[in-house]
Amino acid sequence: MWMVNVRSPHGARRLALGMFALLLAALLLFPGQSQGLLDYLDGPVGQLVRLPLEAVSSLDQGISAMWQQYVSLQHVADENRRLKQEMDWLRGEINQLREAGSATQRLTSLLQFKEQALPAMVAAQVIGRDSSNRYRSVILNKGESDGIQKDMGVITPAGVVGRVVKTTGATAVVLLLTDPNNAIAGLIQRTRDEGIVEGVPQGRAKLKYIPMLSALKEGDRVVTSGLVGGFPRGLAIGTITAIDREEGALFQTAELAPEVDLNRVEEVLVIQAPQSQSADQTARPDPGTKR
Amino acid sequence: MKKFLGYTGLVMLLVPLQTTLLPHVAIWDIKPDLGLVVAALVGVLAGELHGLIVGLAIGWILNLYSAGDLWLNLVTTGGAGLFAGLLARQVAEITPTILAVGLLFLSLAGGLVAVLNMKSATMADTWWMIQFVVVPQALFDTAVGAGLLWFLEQRFAVPRFGMLDRYS
Repeated sequence: MWMVNVRSPHGARRLALGMFALLLAALLLFPGQSQGLLDYLDGPVGQLVRLPLEAVSSLDQGISAMWQQYVSLQHVADENRRLKQEMDWLRGEINQLREAGSATQRLTSLLQFKEQALPAMVAAQVIGRDSSNRYRSVILNKGESDGIQKDMGVITPAGVVGRVVKTTGATAVVLLLTDPNNAIAGLIQRTRDEGIVEGVPQGRAKLKYIPMLSALKEGDRVVTSGLVGGFPRGLAIGTITAIDREEGALFQTAELAPEVDLNRVEEVLVIQAPQSQSADQTARPDPGTKR
Repeated sequence: MKKFLGYTGLVMLLVPLQTTLLPHVAIWDIKPDLGLVVAALVGVLAGELHGLIVGLAIGWILNLYSAGDLWLNLVTTGGAGLFAGLLARQVAEITPTILAVGLLFLSLAGGLVAVLNMKSATMADTWWMIQFVVVPQALFDTAVGAGLLWFLEQRFAVPRFGMLDRYS
């Protein structure tokens, strides 16, 4: 029987190269099966890694909190945090009122409102950032065991943060709005033109596929259209900062400044059951509660 | 068994380091890829087989905390451990400078594979990512790897990790 002596340099080299070749072949020929096998192991490993991750994360948050509260002027920091929270709430409320006003105007002739249930949400904390530099994502301290699944929308009271792309039992990875691999259906609040919001590598976002006849202008606000799953209609995405109208192009593109400061987001809400897609009423999220 | 537990502890420690602490030391939003550096160091110091296995484990576990593709993480990190081990066999003594050159090559190669694999990226986006993500990260990885080896040399008084130290 052929055997490899791993203690000899040649044996170890042969074995390593063979394993690597086998792995490459398995990943290329049976991508689904090999991924499925590892997915099966993700749950227990995720639970195991959760312990050091949460320990370091709480230490990190403790040090950050101590720095903010005691070193950099305790009262000013407290007041500032309270005011920022209040401002986020008010921004969200203004946005919802705008959306509600706009919807009211369009629907006065119909008057067939259906009672809408508020979407169920789970509050979660950001405990880390993407392990690589190539993706813009954050890691949440809640996962499958808390009812979080792939493709669920993630927001703060101020607006959209991103979408869940990966989960383990104890954690979830949220691809941010500003990642080029993310796409969310958006709507210009004033003109009601729809488009797709995508991230750009430089860390901003853009609204693509806006009709050429749309009379959008800088400062227009973009909200979720609710046409695809994950987000109910009317959640703030961002504000248009620049418009790109190319000669001969079929669509316009607009640059967006995201409503949420995605570099500083600490607590988020995961939308577990988005409102029905035809919903015209928007829901005010209630952080910290699980409904 | 002792070695296995050591590697397991190392891999588990890497997750909070890479995802929670390193973002604080990121320069222009770029942080070093500790997974790649550690896999390459293990490959250099313990041989290509250990490098490959530890690299695969690191790639898989770090991938649980990244939006990236699993196969890409496995191939780049596992490949870094394997190739670092193979390259180290061609060198009589591993110095921080030699490790730095090897890491620069491995990090650039891994970064280029990842960026060229991005489906929705335009040519301009790809070029931007190479200029502002792949190259700075490779330089960062190089500095961290060389620094780590220098620290190990100083701390454990190992003289330049000659061939006998590595494979005996």
